[in-house]
Amino acid sequence: MDLDFQQLLLTLLPDLVVVVALFAALGVDYSKLRGAALAERYETAFHISALGLLIGLVMTMLQAAGKISVMDAEATHGQLNFTTGTLTLKAALFVLGLAVLPLAKRDLVTAHASEYFALILLATLGMGFVVTSQNLLGAFVALELVSLSLYAMTALNQSRATSAEAALKYLTFGAVASGFLLFGLSYLYGATAELNLAKLGELEPSSLLIVAYLLILVGLGFKLALAPFHLWAPDVYQAAPTPVAGWIGSGSKIAAAALLLVLLQPIANSPELKDALVPALAALAVASMLVGNLGALRQTNLKRLLAYSAIANAGYLVVGVLAFSDDGNISVLFYILVYSVGSLGAFAVISVLADRLGREAEISDFNGYWKTMPGLSIAFMIFLLSMAGIPPLAGFLGKFYLFFAAIGAQPEAATLTDGYYWLVAFALVMSVVSLYYYLRVLKAFLVVTDEDNEAKPVAVGTAAGLSIFALAAILVVLGLWPEPLLNLLPTK
Amino acid sequence: MTALLTVILSFLGALVCGLMPASAHQRIRWVALATAAAGFAVSMVCYLNLTGGEIADKKNFDWIPTLGISFITGYDGISLPLLLVTGLVAICGVLFSWTLEDRANQFYAYYFALIGGVYGVFLSLDLFLLFVFYEIAVVPKYFLIAIWGGVRRQFAAMKLVLYSFGGSALVLLGMIALFFLTKDTSTGEAVRSFSLIKLQEGQVAAEAQTWIFLLLFLGFAILAGMWPFHTWAPTGHVAAPTATSMLLAGVVMKLGAYGCLRVAIGLLPQGAQEWSTCIAIFAIINIVYGAFVALKQDDFKFVIGYSSVSHMGFVLLGLATLNEIGTTGAVLQMFSHGVIGALLFAMVGTVIYTRTKTRMLDELHRLIDRMPGIAWLFVAAGLASMGLPGFSGFISELYVLIGIWKQEALSGWILVAAGFGILMTFGYTLVKIHEAFFRERRDGDAPVAETPYPAMTIPEKVGIAILLGASLLIGICPWILTDKIKLSLNLLEAIN
Repeated sequence: MDLDFQQLLLTLLPDLVVVVALFAALGVDYSKLRGAALAERYETAFHISALGLLIGLVMTMLQAAGKISVMDAEATHGQLNFTTGTLTLKAALFVLGLAVLPLAKRDLVTAHASEYFALILLATLGMGFVVTSQNLLGAFVALELVSLSLYAMTALNQSRATSAEAALKYLTFGAVASGFLLFGLSYLYGATAELNLAKLGELEPSSLLIVAYLLILVGLGFKLALAPFHLWAPDVYQAAPTPVAGWIGSGSKIAAAALLLVLLQPIANSPELKDALVPALAALAVASMLVGNLGALRQTNLKRLLAYSAIANAGYLVVGVLAFSDDGNISVLFYILVYSVGSLGAFAVISVLADRLGREAEISDFNGYWKTMPGLSIAFMIFLLSMAGIPPLAGFLGKFYLFFAAIGAQPEAATLTDGYYWLVAFALVMSVVSLYYYLRVLKAFLVVTDEDNEAKPVAVGTAAGLSIFALAAILVVLGLWPEPLLNLLPTK
Repeated sequence: MTALLTVILSFLGALVCGLMPASAHQRIRWVALATAAAGFAVSMVCYLNLTGGEIADKKNFDWIPTLGISFITGYDGISLPLLLVTGLVAICGVLFSWTLEDRANQFYAYYFALIGGVYGVFLSLDLFLLFVFYEIAVVPKYFLIAIWGGVRRQFAAMKLVLYSFGGSALVLLGMIALFFLTKDTSTGEAVRSFSLIKLQEGQVAAEAQTWIFLLLFLGFAILAGMWPFHTWAPTGHVAAPTATSMLLAGVVMKLGAYGCLRVAIGLLPQGAQEWSTCIAIFAIINIVYGAFVALKQDDFKFVIGYSSVSHMGFVLLGLATLNEIGTTGAVLQMFSHGVIGALLFAMVGTVIYTRTKTRMLDELHRLIDRMPGIAWLFVAAGLASMGLPGFSGFISELYVLIGIWKQEALSGWILVAAGFGILMTFGYTLVKIHEAFFRERRDGDAPVAETPYPAMTIPEKVGIAILLGASLLIGICPWILTDKIKLSLNLLEAIN
């Protein structure tokens, strides 16, 4: 069967629009704006990329709603898998990408204005392809596109020497992790002779798969910042430009989590694989929750604290993965989506408040903002409480669903080690610990009175304000009314 | 929709107060008073509308069908006294914070967020919904104490919130287990619902009941101040601003006790029977230990804090009887301690403290000379707290004691120990009243001025009248509440 190129063009139109925007942003910057003021170059690049991404988003949503027809997996020769579920994820990634753009234009961290935005768009495109790809190699290449864009962006902060250092660290660790991942994928292919991800679920399990999965877990564990593969995270989060740190902590996590779920499909049907891999995954979960939550306790820098909280949250996520059920998979995707919104929102607030003042984002730098910036302080409260899992915010439902799915996988536990009661109990204890450091941060924002008069009001700007408001609103709305999204998310 | 109005009005009040400018504290306090009064008025309407023991005013909407979660609300004779006490304490909390000016808009925003959550818990008939409201009530407490509290407020606020959150973590685990392990009695399939009604109709295997009951009861009992998890309560109460201590002692601790009764005992009757002796022993420790520690305190507010722990012991003891009269006593004690605990905190934290500027008992003496009116009112409040006939505490403690007497599963020693606990309550209350109001000046004491302290303000008078009046009313006419409580308790499988 020949490929229907006309149909393919229509299917990939959202991505093509974004690519065109990307080149337009670069082209305008290189030609017309040569020698123009930095602020103007940022502004133009922002407008072009935001417009492109917005059109891409609308088209993706139309595709998800069935208004624009898309090719089914068969017609793309098993390369792409456009379903309502995967398109919803892609749309969510585009939404988050749109929320990052206004933050990037606020602080002129680098002279490479258009490249900054082009890299954000490239990463967004890559994430979109990770969640919609149905080919093992396609997904890997897309994930590398994301990673490479993120490495480059991390180094963009020219005002700070640590930025380049963190980027190098990120690149070195990341390259090794990609090596592990690719090695694991080659084992997977060797054991199954199958590149089509949709067919993974039907495969005969073989013991070679155990090796493959262990390697894959190392690779994706790095991308998700699971302990003990988390060492890069605190430095990168702290030194990268704040919007980039937010983007690393949100979009790239969604892509990696979605890929993890797809790759782990064969385990669900195979007791042999389960016996071998459940302990490994559970160990990753426990280690991440422990390292993340205990590590966050003693941080004084807000960005580092959020990095440790990201490690902990990746640990919770694995609890849902362990369910190996439809419920489990939806819960993981829902959780990582709402977590990403919260995390990105928190970084957005930091970016607005701290970067303008040239601060390092120590927690005490935010003392007393309840008085001068009440709106931002309340938004920040929503982001952090959602991450801590306080209802009625979406983060609570995400965490609840993870635990619900994990216990639901095997509710009739005869002993404590059967089923996941012990793991959920551990995760719950760790959530109590996490509330301590989240409240410590909120104390600076909302409790402490600012005696030195340093919490001066900052101009937020329409676009960044809109982005923060939208992220906070998403958390409230999804917390009160999650049903539509839960029904849209794919089970694998 | 009537009953839900309490929740909606409180959250609306929180929003309105939060949006008003801080400088408008005079208008804010009237808005707050109106909100609290409206909540109480709605509870009164609920009271008048309730006739039988069945759940009234039931509302049922699908909320998150994917997870078996519905939005079900309603109230019965068990939740009704708690709705009423929430309304009363909310009003009086505003009255005793009448002079508050610092960040008043935020204060009432958090205050009513907490109260809305509390009303929500008492109205929820879906376990998930109940949990959501329960958690909504946690976070405002942190800010109320950390911002407006007294000495060591940051520590106390964090401790209190972490204890509450730890308790709810246990509850969360228990409720997910209930979802999957409650079986339909006829088909034997899991009911897969969080609706309390459906869970109550279903059946949980006996051995599962044992550990799920432990999770749920312990989780809720932490908030009820059960020994040895009570330590958040005195520190939290003492550091909190008056209105918050009133809410904490008066209402929030009842959330825990209510959860113990409605969720743990209501859904897991066999588990309750298995653990009842254990609960009774812990309850006795609560009563006696709380009383002894209260006796040793120098800070007047700590005395009241530990007396709360002691009084909550009677609630737990009543629950442990698992019979109609004992649990009726427990529910009545929740109401009774709600008003009396709030009254004592208001007297010590605001009425006395604003005048003397100290709460240390060794710095107070012969207050009767300088504030005679307040002193006699405090004596009356102390008598109510001791459970003298004529006050609500008498009836509720009597019911609890009769309940133990009638329950053959509980040893007679429990009764003896409870009686000893009551004597201890007399002891510390009288000793502390003596120290503060009647003790002669000793040689080492600082000399005091002879001039009388300022008289009570109108809000103070009204607040004291409401709380003391409520205790007297129920003490004289207990059937106002007990008739309704009994009818609903009879519908619980565990109570017989």
